[in-house]
Amino acid sequence: MNNALEANSLSINRSGKPVLNDISFTVPAGEIYALLGGNGAGKSTTLLTFLGFLEAASGSVSVQGEQVNKNVKKAREAIAYLPEAATLYGHMSAYENLRYFLDLANAKASDSELNEALDSVALQTAARSQHMVTYSKGMRQKTAIALAILRDSPILLLDEPTSGLDPLAIDEFNRLARKLADQGRTILMVTHDVYGACQVADRIGLLRRGKLVGAFDRTEGEIDTETVHRAFAERAST
Amino acid sequence: MSTVYREFRFLMRERSALLWLGLAFMSATIAVVLGLKEVSEQRTTIADLITADQVEREVVKKDLADWGSAAYYSFHLTYDEPSDFAFAALGQRDLSPWKHRIRMLALEGQIYESDTTNPDFALIGRIDFAFVASLLSPLFLILLLHDLRSRERAAGRLDFIEATASGKMIWRTRGLLRTTLLWLCLVLPLWVGGIIAGASLMVLLIASAVVLTHLLIWWLIASWVANKDYTSAVNLVSLIGVWVVLAVITPAAIKAGVNVAVPIPDGGEILLTQREAVNDAWDLPKQATFEPFVKRHPELADYAKIDTPFEWKWYYAFQQVGDQNAESLSHAYLDGRIKRDVITSSLALLSPPVLTERLLQKQAQTDVAASIAYEERVRAYHADLRSWYYPKLFKDVEFETELLSLRPQYSTD
Ligand SMILES: Nc1ncnc2c1ncn2[C@@H]1O[C@H](COP(=O)(O)OP(=O)(O)O)[C@@H](O)[C@H]1O
Ligand SMILES: [Mg+2]
Repeated sequence: MNNALEANSLSINRSGKPVLNDISFTVPAGEIYALLGGNGAGKSTTLLTFLGFLEAASGSVSVQGEQVNKNVKKAREAIAYLPEAATLYGHMSAYENLRYFLDLANAKASDSELNEALDSVALQTAARSQHMVTYSKGMRQKTAIALAILRDSPILLLDEPTSGLDPLAIDEFNRLARKLADQGRTILMVTHDVYGACQVADRIGLLRRGKLVGAFDRTEGEIDTETVHRAFAERAST
Repeated sequence: MSTVYREFRFLMRERSALLWLGLAFMSATIAVVLGLKEVSEQRTTIADLITADQVEREVVKKDLADWGSAAYYSFHLTYDEPSDFAFAALGQRDLSPWKHRIRMLALEGQIYESDTTNPDFALIGRIDFAFVASLLSPLFLILLLHDLRSRERAAGRLDFIEATASGKMIWRTRGLLRTTLLWLCLVLPLWVGGIIAGASLMVLLIASAVVLTHLLIWWLIASWVANKDYTSAVNLVSLIGVWVVLAVITPAAIKAGVNVAVPIPDGGEILLTQREAVNDAWDLPKQATFEPFVKRHPELADYAKIDTPFEWKWYYAFQQVGDQNAESLSHAYLDGRIKRDVITSSLALLSPPVLTERLLQKQAQTDVAASIAYEERVRAYHADLRSWYYPKLFKDVEFETELLSLRPQYSTD
């Protein structure tokens, strides 16, 4: 199986400071990789590097087997990105935002597909045509997830997709992520939710101060909540 | 096309952008209306004067007994008809005279009478369309473009948008769309005004292209600043700074520099020189007048002498000598203005607003060249009057009122 995402000895500096230090991992197509780590560990930086926003100080990242810095546009076209604290346009409704950004991504969706996607993230029907300024953080997050799903890209990069969601919605999201992976999509997500990650992820990486300090593979039987939780608490929580 | 449509719909939801576009449209409309009004008033003034001028000459005619008093009491209207596009750029029509009622007396004084100081070179004029297009439109564009990217960054959306759009083309699309819409908001009132005023299609097309080019220059400047990843406030302040430099400081510096580099005599100085010459002539020996006069009119040499204390031919001879005395000043003034205008036109390349205003004034025929051309027409007409009267005055042709209708008529071309 080929790798949808690959980081090879990747080091990144931001504002002159080393932020990622020699990290390597791979995400095979159709799998879910969860990146766990404390604040400032470099999780968001990792995602931005796959999108070609940051230049590697050494090492490289590849998307679908092609180095990102060689063809940024191609990498971005393959990826649906959900930023941390996703803010869509407040003066437009969920429908309008979805239509706008889908068009921006050159993707198409019918009205019923929009509703299906919003159903799958359980956004209240009544809210869908209201301006998004009136939304709670969770509702905004759900809309942004719906957008990532609708993009129909082979790869999803999700930065803390469940932050701001209530526990029921988190469960809902994890089920959805699994379903998308089963349909063949690759997901790299940053999360604080150790429990959820252990439920759905095929691989888990622990990131601490720019270093990969732990890796767990479901096929090797390494993923169970207790082990990962302990490792996270011991190695990656600061 | 769907990209443009998407961004157009997006823009239509953006209140601040609509506000600036609306204000631009209003400014252009007001400027066009004011310009049309001003030009129509000037046309009315000219039409009224043409009628009054004829009536008055007819009235005066009845009491005339000789050529000398005919020339003395007859005023002749000269005027510079506004072009069909003058409403858009009033230019020199605002600063220097576009009508003179002249007599066959010394001319220089009559030309500069209303003009005791030199006319200013219109670097920044009154509120006409050219003002809106050259000075205000960059400000509207700056307001529209300064925070295109920076406000998305402030909202945490920048990476998201660029990742979703797979590139930075989106900023060009948004920027150019706003630039184009601003252009339409400016040019639409201009075209309506142009159609009302009967301006030619070609002139309207050229003027529209000038405005578009000007806006594109500012779009480049704004994009360059806005791509530097500063905050909206920094972008706004920087761009306003650029505007102040290009639209205010540079024109002022050009004007001051050109004025220092090319000194020209004062219009009032010419007036004074000519009047003094005329006043002094009364007390000078007649020969002092006739000598310089005959140099210009050798064909009248045999007739250039009088024995009585007063004769009209002597009177008009010293009027002309008054002009001759002021001639070098007048030429210096004319040459100086042309030279200043030529230098200013190259220096205008340093300031897109100045260049824009000048190009529009050129289309409107309200530039310095047009103003000078009118002055030259007045001189030529005055010379025609002299050529017509002189043989009659000097050769004692018998006075006939009917012949007065054969006097040269001022024509605008
Ligand atoms: N725009 C930026 N410029 C400079 N340094 C940054 C920037 N964004 C983040 N950093 C630094 O990079 C490190 C990793 O940040 P980030 O990847 O956002 O962490 P995480 O997502 O794991 O919380 C932090 O030390 C942070 O201070
Ligand atoms: Mg982060």
